[in-house]
Amino acid sequence: MALADIPRRRTRFDRRFDRIRALEEAGRLKHPTGSRLVRKFMSNRLAVIGLVVFSIILLAAIFAPLLTPWDPTKINLRAMLQPPSWEHWFGTDKTGRDVFARVLYGGRISILVGLGSAVVSAIIGVIIGCYAGYVGGWFDAVCMRISEIIMAFPELILVLMLVSILGQSLSNIMIIFILGGWCGIYRLARASMLSLREEEYVQALRSFGLSVPLICFKHILPNALGPIMVNITLSTAAFILAEAGLSFLGLGVPMNIATWGNILNVAQDLGVLQNNWWIWLPVGTTISLFVLSVNFIGDGLRDATDPTQQG
Amino acid sequence: MLAYVIRRVLIMIPMAVAISFLVYVGLDATPGDAVSFMLSPEQMSGANPERLEELREALGLNQPLFVRYFIWLGGLLQGNFGYTLTGGVPISDLLARRLPATLELAAVALVLSTVFGSILGIISALRRGTATDNTLTVVGMVGVSIPEFFFGLVAITVFALNLGWLPVGGRSMPQYVTFWDRLPHLVMPALVLSIMMTAGVMRYARAAMLDALNKDFIKTARSKGLPEWRVNLLHGFRVALTPVVVLIGFRLPALIGGSVIVEQVFQWPGVGSLFVLSVRNQDYPVVMAIALISVVTVLVVSVVIDVLTAIIDPRVRLGN
Repeated sequence: MALADIPRRRTRFDRRFDRIRALEEAGRLKHPTGSRLVRKFMSNRLAVIGLVVFSIILLAAIFAPLLTPWDPTKINLRAMLQPPSWEHWFGTDKTGRDVFARVLYGGRISILVGLGSAVVSAIIGVIIGCYAGYVGGWFDAVCMRISEIIMAFPELILVLMLVSILGQSLSNIMIIFILGGWCGIYRLARASMLSLREEEYVQALRSFGLSVPLICFKHILPNALGPIMVNITLSTAAFILAEAGLSFLGLGVPMNIATWGNILNVAQDLGVLQNNWWIWLPVGTTISLFVLSVNFIGDGLRDATDPTQQG
Repeated sequence: MLAYVIRRVLIMIPMAVAISFLVYVGLDATPGDAVSFMLSPEQMSGANPERLEELREALGLNQPLFVRYFIWLGGLLQGNFGYTLTGGVPISDLLARRLPATLELAAVALVLSTVFGSILGIISALRRGTATDNTLTVVGMVGVSIPEFFFGLVAITVFALNLGWLPVGGRSMPQYVTFWDRLPHLVMPALVLSIMMTAGVMRYARAAMLDALNKDFIKTARSKGLPEWRVNLLHGFRVALTPVVVLIGFRLPALIGGSVIVEQVFQWPGVGSLFVLSVRNQDYPVVMAIALISVVTVLVVSVVIDVLTAIIDPRVRLGN
């Protein structure tokens, strides 16, 4: 006999519970401003500022043709090294190319490399990590050894070594980043699989006879999504910094494609450094602002998705 | 304890072997003849095709991949890294000349970042939730977000080009002998290299200090009526210090990667700038040698750190 069926006097708690249930059925219990995650994220001032700056830079890069009439690759020898003016907002570089246009169009490539590599390596890492963590066995052992080997290399050393073997091109840079980047998320996904797969609800699902992929990706993965999202944002920041560093060394994306790092490459020249600040200072600031905003977003996401900090 | 050390070392060795094998496969797959980097220029010059073939045979370069790998590994263990493709200089000589500069830079940056990072982190933890703490957290975030080379460029422009206080780059003039002569050259690269790490250490030190301050013995110390500075520094800080020092091991990869870029920005004649130069010139033997050395260093340091942690904290070695 269920507890509810035992005859007893209705108390004020029963009445209160009925009221709550009525409210819930009427759909009025939901918080007016959306889910808890969004609310917590929005109450974090730095994260919101980060999101705003991120969106501005991203939109400016996407809608670059609307914002500037100049072609980032068009050489104009009559307008070399001009300081900022109404015509050229960030001035022109050594071959007369408009720096503002180069920063905007370069942002497209830099953000593509950063975000694209982070997302692809996250997808690979999550798929391998979920499967390996849930099933275990030799596949997991092999993946673990491979990730240990990759993670033993200092990141920049591994990237430069692979650049020297594979050669420089946009797709090679992304492949190299992905090759070095999937391990972190793989380990994260694997660790949450290992801890979650013994939970009772997973055992229940298993006893219902659900297939392994269904349990892994539909029922366990959503519970591990918080740290994974945080990791994607942080590795986006890291990849953008890495691309900028590589291109600054002249070993990243080929020089004929404008990227934030490639624009900064000319600043290795002390003359440019001293006399033509407009070539390197705005783009360096843009990189820093963008990476900072991504880091703020990541931090906000970490706080918002951390279940140990309810609020 | 000894068993723990032996076990950690035994785990490391297969890793090192696997990595060196992969590096050798990479080296073997790159364009260029394996003979050219195994022989000194004197042996190479004047050698006709038959003589080269004899040399290949004598060096075992016609053997299968595995045998060649072990020949190469044997050479490495005796300090023979082969010769550079550009110029035919013995790689070990080149490294021996460049390594002191890198170690000098790395050591100074490591000390600076440890000291600044732990002081700032502890201040941040002691003033938790205040404006100071929030400011330091944001500043730390800014510190990890600005690319190192951009920091370097700004520093060069301000302090070297405009103010003229410090030299633009390089390491030493012929007349410079002691460390103090070189110091002006060292200031900017070391500070720039330490900035990113300082931010990391600060974050870690703050968490460790907060953790330590929540322990019961802190409450005991306070309830005994000890002055606040004694509680914080002598009781809290001592406990928080251990993880901060252990963090040195985790900072090593960032330090190696960072020094590659910083050495390039400041024209510091260390292993990092040699690495960039070799990647540019596609001098694969040098690239691989440096990559291998850095990985082995990271592996060895991580074992040393693990052992140190086990000495400090008995729970680690007994837990296994």
